[in-house]
Amino acid sequence: MSENSNKVSQVPVEELSFREAMNELQGIVSGLESNTLEVEESLLFFERGVSLLRSLRGRMSDAQQKVDVLIGELEAADDDGVVDTTLHKA
Amino acid sequence: MYDVVPDQGEESKKDALTVSQALHAAKTSLESFVVTVEGEVSEFNNKAGYKAVYFTVKDEHASMPCMMWANRFASAGVNVQVGSLVRMTGRFTLYAAKGRMNFEAFSLRLAGEGELRARVADLARRLQAEGLMDPQRKKPVPKYMQTIGVVTSPRGAAVHDVLRTLRRRFPVARILLAGVPVEGKGVPQNLMRGMQAVAEAGAEAVLLVRGGGSFEDFMPFNDEELARFIAAFPLPVVTGIGHEPDTCIADMVADLRASTPTAAAEAVSPKRDNLATGFDNAARRMKAALGATLQTQASRLDLLGSASVFRDESALLSANALKLDALSDSLYRSIPQNVKRDEAALQVAQTKLASFAERAFQRENAQMQQASLRLAAVGKSFLEPRRSQVALLASRLNDLSPLTVLSRGYAIAYGGEGNVVRSVSDLSEGSSVSLTLVDGSATCTVDSLCKTQRVQIDLEEV
Repeated sequence: MSENSNKVSQVPVEELSFREAMNELQGIVSGLESNTLEVEESLLFFERGVSLLRSLRGRMSDAQQKVDVLIGELEAADDDGVVDTTLHKA
Repeated sequence: MYDVVPDQGEESKKDALTVSQALHAAKTSLESFVVTVEGEVSEFNNKAGYKAVYFTVKDEHASMPCMMWANRFASAGVNVQVGSLVRMTGRFTLYAAKGRMNFEAFSLRLAGEGELRARVADLARRLQAEGLMDPQRKKPVPKYMQTIGVVTSPRGAAVHDVLRTLRRRFPVARILLAGVPVEGKGVPQNLMRGMQAVAEAGAEAVLLVRGGGSFEDFMPFNDEELARFIAAFPLPVVTGIGHEPDTCIADMVADLRASTPTAAAEAVSPKRDNLATGFDNAARRMKAALGATLQTQASRLDLLGSASVFRDESALLSANALKLDALSDSLYRSIPQNVKRDEAALQVAQTKLASFAERAFQRENAQMQQASLRLAAVGKSFLEPRRSQVALLASRLNDLSPLTVLSRGYAIAYGGEGNVVRSVSDLSEGSSVSLTLVDGSATCTVDSLCKTQRVQIDLEEV
């Protein structure tokens, strides 16, 4: 969120880190609940919040864990039936 | 003192020792020398209210009951448990009432691993005194980290516990793994190298983890150099070393201590259910808030819509209409007032004018009457002589009238063109002449012309 709390960020949602998106979503929710927005602003906030939510949920459901092995050699785990971690040397 | 070794020769005639005498003799000889003993504690009994603690120390072949006065045990400040290796200094003694031998420990400390523990505890006290474990210097672990460093053995369950936990809970995070040996020589240095590597690669925090093991296995995590490195590390360090009861120096100086590798991974990742619930809550709250805002606005709109202006469009103008009425009313009221006021002024003016005119007329009248009287007098004197003169002239005028002449028998002859015939030369024989007499006219034809000599008559002489 910008300093002006009545303005919706213009940064594309995909460019935000997970944390940034979470923080912005939090700001959107409290902004909407603050009761200080005009109807038009409320609609913009809501729209932004919905795209943030969609992006965050998507990231959680689509994400594949990435593991960069900086030192040593990772042995496959005996108890992992399928090793779905993406292993690649950095 | 009794004789400890009775004279053999006197055995027959001298009586045997009493039990008390014998035990006393034994106690005296046992207590005459002090020894240091090392062994493993196999039983330990430290009951509140007892004057002493009672325990058993053993080795593979033997065991001995021990006691230590409670105040001495307390001042030794050692945490003794079953299995502890202890080194104690004391002497054997006898408890005469039961005829039982005890080892009475004057001093006691841990030996072997116990000694290691004591050294670790000592280091912990020093680091704590330096403030390295102060809660206020512990860095918070960021939420929803994009990049998480993991420093641990690349082999074994711990690393996979961590990866699996992070994958399950927060697959969004990228893992930077430094797989370093955690056994053998130089483990603290390897751990520090791994931490450095993940920090340089951009990790937001470091997990320092190790699976379970013996006390000796954890000793690298009690290293003073590593402890100072962790405390000074720029990133938050989260430890998960061994299992629940194990605590090492690394745990104490870390920014966050988890009991196991899995717990450490959980500590740096959001719970998936909580995240999902959080999303649902955010969605619900946004909808509710927007709904409330719209509802409020709708209510306001309704309120406005129900205002008379919108219910009856003429009401929009009624205010102005009323105003107009009021204005015209006051205008109407003000006009007659003006007229009345002006009327009064007019009447005053009229009265003034009237009285002025009257006075003016009276003055003029008087002058005029005087003038007319004078004029009448002048006129009379002027008119009388003229009147007789006019009568004379009028009779003469009558004499001169052609009508008077005609009545005396004269006629006027008019030619064919209506012209008065004054001479016979104006006529020719056969032409037509019209004669006007006093009482009519006659048309005549000229038969003959005869010109006569004209007789000049002097009228003056008539």
